[in-house]
Amino acid sequence: MTELLQFSLCLLAFNCFALAKFNHYRDVFKARPSQKQSQQFLIAAWISILLSLLLCVIKHQGYGGLLFCGYMALSVLLLMIFYSFKPSWVKHMSVLNVVLLLLSGSYFVVY
Amino acid sequence: MKESFFRSMTWMHTWVGLLVCWLLYLIFFAGTISFFRDEVTLWNQPALHSIQAPQERIAQQREQIIAGVDYLKATAPESGRWGIYLPTEREPQLNYAYEKPRPEGKRFGGWQDHYINPTTGDSLQQPRETKGGNFFYRLHFDLHYIDVRTARWIVCFASLFMLVALISGVVIHKRIFKDMFSFRKNKGSRSWLDGHNVSSVLALPFHIMITYTGLITLIFMLFPYPAMTAYDDGVRGLFNDVTPTNVRTKSSDVAAPLTPIDSVLDQIYTNWPNADLTRFSIKDPNKTSATITVRASTGTLVRDQTPTMLFNGVDGSLIAKSVDEYSSTEVFYDSLTALHTGRLANPLLRWLYFLCGIAGCIMIATGCIMWAKRIRERMKKDQKASFGLKLVEGLNLATLMGLPLATCAFFIANRLLPLSLTQRADKEILAFFIAWLAVALFSLFKRAKMQWYLLAWVNAVACISVPLINALTTKGNIVSYLLNSQWALFSFDLVCLVCALLFALQAKKLRTQLHTPTPTTRSNHVTKNSLVEQKA
Amino acid sequence: MYAQPVNKVPTRNPLLKLKMACKANVYALCVVARFSAAIVGGYIFTAVFTSLLSLILPLKKSDAVLLSISLTILVYSCVFIWAFAVKSLKTIWITILLTSSACGLSIALLKGWL
Repeated sequence: MTELLQFSLCLLAFNCFALAKFNHYRDVFKARPSQKQSQQFLIAAWISILLSLLLCVIKHQGYGGLLFCGYMALSVLLLMIFYSFKPSWVKHMSVLNVVLLLLSGSYFVVY
Repeated sequence: MKESFFRSMTWMHTWVGLLVCWLLYLIFFAGTISFFRDEVTLWNQPALHSIQAPQERIAQQREQIIAGVDYLKATAPESGRWGIYLPTEREPQLNYAYEKPRPEGKRFGGWQDHYINPTTGDSLQQPRETKGGNFFYRLHFDLHYIDVRTARWIVCFASLFMLVALISGVVIHKRIFKDMFSFRKNKGSRSWLDGHNVSSVLALPFHIMITYTGLITLIFMLFPYPAMTAYDDGVRGLFNDVTPTNVRTKSSDVAAPLTPIDSVLDQIYTNWPNADLTRFSIKDPNKTSATITVRASTGTLVRDQTPTMLFNGVDGSLIAKSVDEYSSTEVFYDSLTALHTGRLANPLLRWLYFLCGIAGCIMIATGCIMWAKRIRERMKKDQKASFGLKLVEGLNLATLMGLPLATCAFFIANRLLPLSLTQRADKEILAFFIAWLAVALFSLFKRAKMQWYLLAWVNAVACISVPLINALTTKGNIVSYLLNSQWALFSFDLVCLVCALLFALQAKKLRTQLHTPTPTTRSNHVTKNSLVEQKA
Repeated sequence: MYAQPVNKVPTRNPLLKLKMACKANVYALCVVARFSAAIVGGYIFTAVFTSLLSLILPLKKSDAVLLSISLTILVYSCVFIWAFAVKSLKTIWITILLTSSACGLSIALLKGWL
């Protein structure tokens, strides 16, 4: 379950990085992002990615660092596919991502 | 060489990449498969498919070792070497092996394996002779058909070029974060560039790590000089200094009874209470020079040196034991090798490694295709293709499409070749190279889109026939693997099916391009015109 | 970046022909020279430099060797890239030979070979 948490955090982070960019935001929401929105996305992305890295390293030490690299690759691959081929699905994917994050996060907190 | 640093880096990236890209593709391709070396070997040996993973694997190890020594004492008392290979998570079978009599002038006679089902204790029939995943593992750095040392030097320089290309690639890719998620479809060489960028950026830490650490695994061949300066006996001196269990003993012919295994096992388990042992080997059993070596698994520690203990085989005393506490430099050096081999990886990380490896293959493939595409786009209408361009295009087609086909041929040969064939393992490898040669000859003939299209279909059929032939010739098939949760075999077949699907998609895409009059050249004219305008 | 088409002017003078051939191949020669400087020069420098490093690093003997061995590839790739970034071939060779011989000299002094 912690693996899922780490991965969904990483995916969320890269999703935020993408949404902070003008083009991608416009493709998904059909509107221009304000300067402030972009900034908020960036901050959220950095927090989330650092959290993911932290969780990986605390849980598995060196092995966790490797896992984190793998998560990054997988997240970027997924996002690249969504943003280039199916930008309209990004919203649904983001919702799914957040739900997974909350589920695995609550599991992590409870146990 | 060129005016600015940036331009010279671009120039270098192109040349360094182009010189070795096909060899690098082979190395990456074989290396990616080698991450699943044990699983591939298992798939290649249907006799071992019936084994269920044992429930209490570690708890059984003591009994298995004792039984193994008894078996070997009875079967091969005169052999020069015994090896007890305990089941691991990835290799479910138990193996009691001994060395066959040495031929004149050889230092090792080869192993005679005896496989046992660890859950039932029954002996299994001798599995078919195959190299399995080890073929790809060796191909990855020894190539084939050429002298091992030369091959390793070639591989080293190819990897060095790769590392240099990676670094210069980062330098020349100015929009690395900006274009991270963008892939522009149907834009001619622009799309290829995007594919090249995305596949390299998404696994960039992996690419740099795997290339650097790959060079480190062969470093004592490439740069023995630091060890030679510091130690009088060079690399051997360093090894002896770092690994205390690296003790060489002279074999003797004087007979002496083997020490009771129980006492050795007691010592092992007092030193390592929860040890997960992987191998128990005895050199010169029943001689005065007998030694016993025990190796344990490193688990998920980022460490390559396995914990080892060395015992005297006659009186059972501990001769040497690997150090538990490494200095920080040793940890650093050792972790580099461990990162490359990925033996530590659990299934999740192993799949991520595999994914990154495929990204590396795509990066190399798109890179070399892009070079040819760009030259084509720059060519004038009536200009004839130069020899260099033809060569590059031919090599592209031969390697990029040939290697997957050759791999399929290897697996199909494994299932279809008669079991009684002499040197069967070599024949499988021959099938691999014949298939590759066939594609190479085909691409010698012509290298247009049509040929890519045809080969894409051939590859799709080959990929789908691997699981099909498996289902027809063995007891299991992809559905039964799923039902019995034999994940290694199931994933193997699944990956084949996915590859078949991808090749079919490629063929479909190529067909639409074949029928519509090339949109790439049109966009190319547009870019050319805009260039002319800019100049004006 | 890529080979330029050469103007084909019919000529009968063999000397001129030779000159033209040279001109056409200048680019290829440049590539070869650059690569050999990077590969051979880089190798020589790295070998000598890391050997010196393994002697002077203030660590245990085995640690010093292992650390310098781990760093060889880094040094080699840096020199390789530098060899492509510098404009003149002469500068590259002179720098490499000078620094390598300086390192070699220090090794010889440290080991007491002289």
